[in-house]
Amino acid sequence: MSNKEEKPADQNQSTWKDFIFNPRSGEFMGRTASSWALILLFYLVFYGFLAGLFTLTMWVMLQTLDDNAPKYCDRVPSPGLVIRPKTLDIVYNKSDSSKYSHYVQHLESFLQQYNDVDQDKKQPCVSGTYSIQDNETLPKNSCPFKRSLLGQCSGLHDPNFGYSEGKPCILVKMNRIIGLKPLGDPFINCTIKKEGSDFNMVYFPATKNFDLMYFPYYGKKAHETYVQPLIAVKLMLEKKDYDNVITVECKIEGSSNLKNDDERDKFLGRVIFTVKITE
Amino acid sequence: MGKNDSYEVFVEMERDGNGEMGAKIKKKKEKKKERMENMKKEIDIDDHQLSFEELEMKYTTSVTKGMTSTMAAQVLERDGCNELKPPKGTPEYIKFARQLAGGLQCLMWVAAVICFIAFGILMGQGNLTSYDDLYLAIVLIAVVVVTGCFGYYQEFKSTNIIASFKNLVPQQATVFRDGQKFNINANQLVVGDLVEVKGGDRVPADVRIVSAQSFKVDNSSLTGESEPQSRTPEFTHENPLETKNIAFFSTTCLEGVATGIIINTGDRTIIGRIASLASGVGNEKTPIAIEIEHFVDIIAGLAIFFGATFFCVAMTIGYRFLEAMIFFMAIVVAYVPEGLLATVTVCLSLTAKRLARKNCVVKNLEAVETLGSTSVICSDKTGTLTQNRMTVSHLWFDNHIHSADTTEDQSGQSFDQSSETWRALGRVAGLCNRAVFKPGQDAVPIPKRDVVGDASETALLKFTELAFGNIVDYRNRFKKVCELPFNSTNKFQLSVHELEDPLDLRYLLVMKGAPERILERCSTIMIKGQELPLDEQWKEAFQTAYMDLGGLGERVLGFCHLLLNEKEHPRGFGFDVDEMNFTTSGLCFAGLISMIDPPRASVPDAVMKCRTAGIRVIMVTGDHPITAKAIAANVGIITEGSETVEDIALRLRIPVEQVNKRDARACVVNGGQLKDMSSEELDDLLRNHPEMVFARTSPQQKLIIVESCQRLGSIVAVTGDGVNDSPALKKADIGIAMGISGSDAAKNAADMILLDDNFASIVTGVEQGRLIFDNLKKSIAYTLTKNIPELTPYLIYITVSVPLPLGCITILFIELATDIFPSVSLAYEKAESDIMNLKPRNPRKDRLVNESLAAYSYFQIGAIQSFAGFTDYFTCLAQEGWRPLLCVGLRSAWENAYNQEVQDSYGQEWTFAQRLYQEYTCYTVFFVSIEICQISDVLIRKTRRLSLFQQGFFRNKVLLSAIVFQLCLGTFLCYCPGMPNIFNFMPIRVQWWFIPVPYGILIFIYDEIRKLGVRRHPGSWWDKELYY
Repeated sequence: MSNKEEKPADQNQSTWKDFIFNPRSGEFMGRTASSWALILLFYLVFYGFLAGLFTLTMWVMLQTLDDNAPKYCDRVPSPGLVIRPKTLDIVYNKSDSSKYSHYVQHLESFLQQYNDVDQDKKQPCVSGTYSIQDNETLPKNSCPFKRSLLGQCSGLHDPNFGYSEGKPCILVKMNRIIGLKPLGDPFINCTIKKEGSDFNMVYFPATKNFDLMYFPYYGKKAHETYVQPLIAVKLMLEKKDYDNVITVECKIEGSSNLKNDDERDKFLGRVIFTVKITE
Repeated sequence: MGKNDSYEVFVEMERDGNGEMGAKIKKKKEKKKERMENMKKEIDIDDHQLSFEELEMKYTTSVTKGMTSTMAAQVLERDGCNELKPPKGTPEYIKFARQLAGGLQCLMWVAAVICFIAFGILMGQGNLTSYDDLYLAIVLIAVVVVTGCFGYYQEFKSTNIIASFKNLVPQQATVFRDGQKFNINANQLVVGDLVEVKGGDRVPADVRIVSAQSFKVDNSSLTGESEPQSRTPEFTHENPLETKNIAFFSTTCLEGVATGIIINTGDRTIIGRIASLASGVGNEKTPIAIEIEHFVDIIAGLAIFFGATFFCVAMTIGYRFLEAMIFFMAIVVAYVPEGLLATVTVCLSLTAKRLARKNCVVKNLEAVETLGSTSVICSDKTGTLTQNRMTVSHLWFDNHIHSADTTEDQSGQSFDQSSETWRALGRVAGLCNRAVFKPGQDAVPIPKRDVVGDASETALLKFTELAFGNIVDYRNRFKKVCELPFNSTNKFQLSVHELEDPLDLRYLLVMKGAPERILERCSTIMIKGQELPLDEQWKEAFQTAYMDLGGLGERVLGFCHLLLNEKEHPRGFGFDVDEMNFTTSGLCFAGLISMIDPPRASVPDAVMKCRTAGIRVIMVTGDHPITAKAIAANVGIITEGSETVEDIALRLRIPVEQVNKRDARACVVNGGQLKDMSSEELDDLLRNHPEMVFARTSPQQKLIIVESCQRLGSIVAVTGDGVNDSPALKKADIGIAMGISGSDAAKNAADMILLDDNFASIVTGVEQGRLIFDNLKKSIAYTLTKNIPELTPYLIYITVSVPLPLGCITILFIELATDIFPSVSLAYEKAESDIMNLKPRNPRKDRLVNESLAAYSYFQIGAIQSFAGFTDYFTCLAQEGWRPLLCVGLRSAWENAYNQEVQDSYGQEWTFAQRLYQEYTCYTVFFVSIEICQISDVLIRKTRRLSLFQQGFFRNKVLLSAIVFQLCLGTFLCYCPGMPNIFNFMPIRVQWWFIPVPYGILIFIYDEIRKLGVRRHPGSWWDKELYY
């Protein structure tokens, strides 16, 4: 680093070679060894001090942070919406299992944490009310979301999640945000963007809503066993819909504090994905 | 002498082209030589040898009626206007293109192109996530173009200053056409026109004189000789330059009237040819231009070096090629100080404005600083050091030398005026004088009034007017009977008057002239009102006084008078000056009056200032050596106690050859000696004698003197006014033309114009130039500092893969918006110490940007600022949910536009847009940190050595308002609605403004410690490494 500062030194007086190493004065890059040692020592002390100061301030700053919740949530006032399988373009051949097996596997592994066996261990909550736990006790109790609630899309009855029959399941999930308490009764509504194609969509649970008991979220440390509520959408595609690219938009509705029409953020309270199934 | 001088012009120029002098200008040599040949050929004008009839034939004109207007129109069409064409400048578009193609600009172009390419590729691949790259490219181009326009505008404006000078007064000329007299614009004159020129006019073209009445011209602008030259219709010499029947374009007519036929117009005139020759002399690059170039090269080199290094690093780490290219671009944007050139230009033009208020108009902005590094000033005498007005300085009467008041505003002490002799002497001086004031000047102070008459008569007129009051009235009381004007054969002037007292019928004869001639005619001398016989003793006293006054370089006149015998010359006596039928001997000697062009009152102080500032003042004049030496001694160019070789020889009574030349500090060289000198001898002379006066030099020799000074490593400022000065003005590091007396050619060639022709203004300029050098240093140090906190985010981003802490657009905002005003405000900083007591800077050693400045700004203050930025950045991220350790290596997930659920340290999931706004928040926080640190930075840059408490916090009001402005602009950028999506600024929490404050205080304290060490231990390791 320090040799950079040597560059402005006078170049026209000595030749380039002399500048790099001058055998007469023993100067290397315009400085003698002792001069280099001194200046490097100076910078060592200087940067050592700065680094120390930096570490100290960082440490102090980290001490002021809460372990469970960030100090501010300025940039995440409203959650994003995502789907499983984790892609925005679902394209496969329904007769070729190798083409969709990765979707199926993905869904299966994702749903592992929702296995009824695990969820049954949790204390049930009161549906329709926030699970507010503002006391100091840790870990916080989390409400169960059983995989079986997803019915045909739970993978319990149809291990292929409908992919093999051309009626794929999509899981819709809302991003976790600490302390978020949705107002009203938020539910998912999916629509087909492209006109002309029309097919049924079946929601699991059929109420299409995220129960308020899953809110608020207390952060990953306090709320270790927390699972997000899910809504499965089964696209009941028919033969006429095959080979077409179908665009579906799912939105969260029915809640005044969950935005779903932000101009800049296309994933805030909504998600758009395409499906194309071939035979 | 005069004739030799005028020939010398070309001898000198020739030597320039062929001799050893010219060897330096190798490139132009051949071309110049060729032109020289052409010129010699062209000078073979034979018009002066032709008879009037032949002349009439040749130009289809008439020596009595002039041309016909139809013919004149034809010739005008053929030859074009009668004016000097300005030397062909560079075409405007090239000038503009040059502004866009500097070192830094080229880098910015490259960066913009990379942005475009990146944008194009992303769009081609169809994974366009934002228009940022396109946006950035456009901003970069806009920056280059806007700064280019700015620079072009500056250049354009300074060119215009000159243009306005030219058009100030359209010259008029009196011409005869179709037998009638017209007044037309001089540029409409054509070859063959019959023109009339009278006293005060400028000769409108090269003119063959047809008729003349006591016609005298001042050829000083052509040949440098200051003696008026008479012009007559007679052909006196084969050489057109020496013959008396040609008057040259742009010379001024001092007195008399003449008519003549124009033989050459415009660029074909002698002066036109010389002017075009002057444009062949290479213009020297200004020291500041060299400095800036030097430093821009380093910056550009370092930017490329950093960019390339991190390009390679990025490639080896495993980034894709396109990403690596974008990194390269970003590093270039971060490292290049975009606002610097604008800052420098603004600082210089501020000083230029300040100088303009002090009567120095700067044509070339960079010349402002050149003045500051000037180590030698070659100054003219007449008009620059002196008042350019003959003034009575000493009188000798009653066997005493009395000093008169020579100050410009008559504030000095006058002599005792009670003596009877003085009254007699004053009466002679007042009466034997043909000069009169031009009418309508009653409001003007007497010394400044315009007078018709020659220089010494003018001086005497003003002197007597001051002494006696209304001299016109006085002369009316002594009715003039007859007079004999001064002529060069008898060297005296006399007039005969009736006496004031109407009852006294005697006539009074008054006479003035060369003292020895006057003395010859005297038999008595007036001492204390008594007429005493003029014996040997008085004659000796006279001789001593005469020698003394002459030794002062003054022009001495003798005065005598006589009351004519009433019997021999009764009332009504027919005085006849041709016959001299009256007594002109046995007069009574009244006294001597000596005159000099006195130094301007402010000059001795200014020269003294130069001396303390380590600047050598060399006088170069066309005047007589004795006068030159006297003025030089008077103004302090030759200091008290300094002797020339001749002085020493005189004092020790030994021959000049035996004097040890090293003992003589002063040296007076005249043009004749200079002509025979080799350049080595001249160098030796300049090296050995600190106090030099060149007398009797032609303007061409000025060029030789300038070159010699430059060979000795000096930065030379040259003053000049004549056309022939223009080569020297161009050759000088800074040419200074005189605004009042200067010719257009001189003003064209100069870098600076002194509106008041006053030497003292140059010294003001030097002071301002030195100040701006210091302040530019501070400005640049300030500007460079922030490049490190702009660069480090990228380095950390690439190597540690944290979310980007600072965006390119934000960087441009720091460079071009918030920090411009503070960096300019440093130009208003007062000097830390008396800069006029320091030696001029050594252009080879004292660089504008030196190693320690760069090291201190980059590696120390810049480093502290970077730490401040990162502290604030990590704090902001941590408080929003992203702890520092999580951030490391986060980049690929963070920047993945398809990942809408990136988890922060608390398990929250963020969409891409949310992360992007968080990133903008980081930009803003980093921006605020840099701003806060820069406030501290601008404060510490106020001084380089003194403590800020010594310099005063609040002295520089502009700087304070700049800080306020910077804060307001920063606040506006942060909190104005709409900013997030336009310029990537986010409203940030108020406490994040205060996180960098401790670092700002640290910068301040650290710099105070540095300055303390520098002040306490000059020459120590600390001083050497940390003083910039």
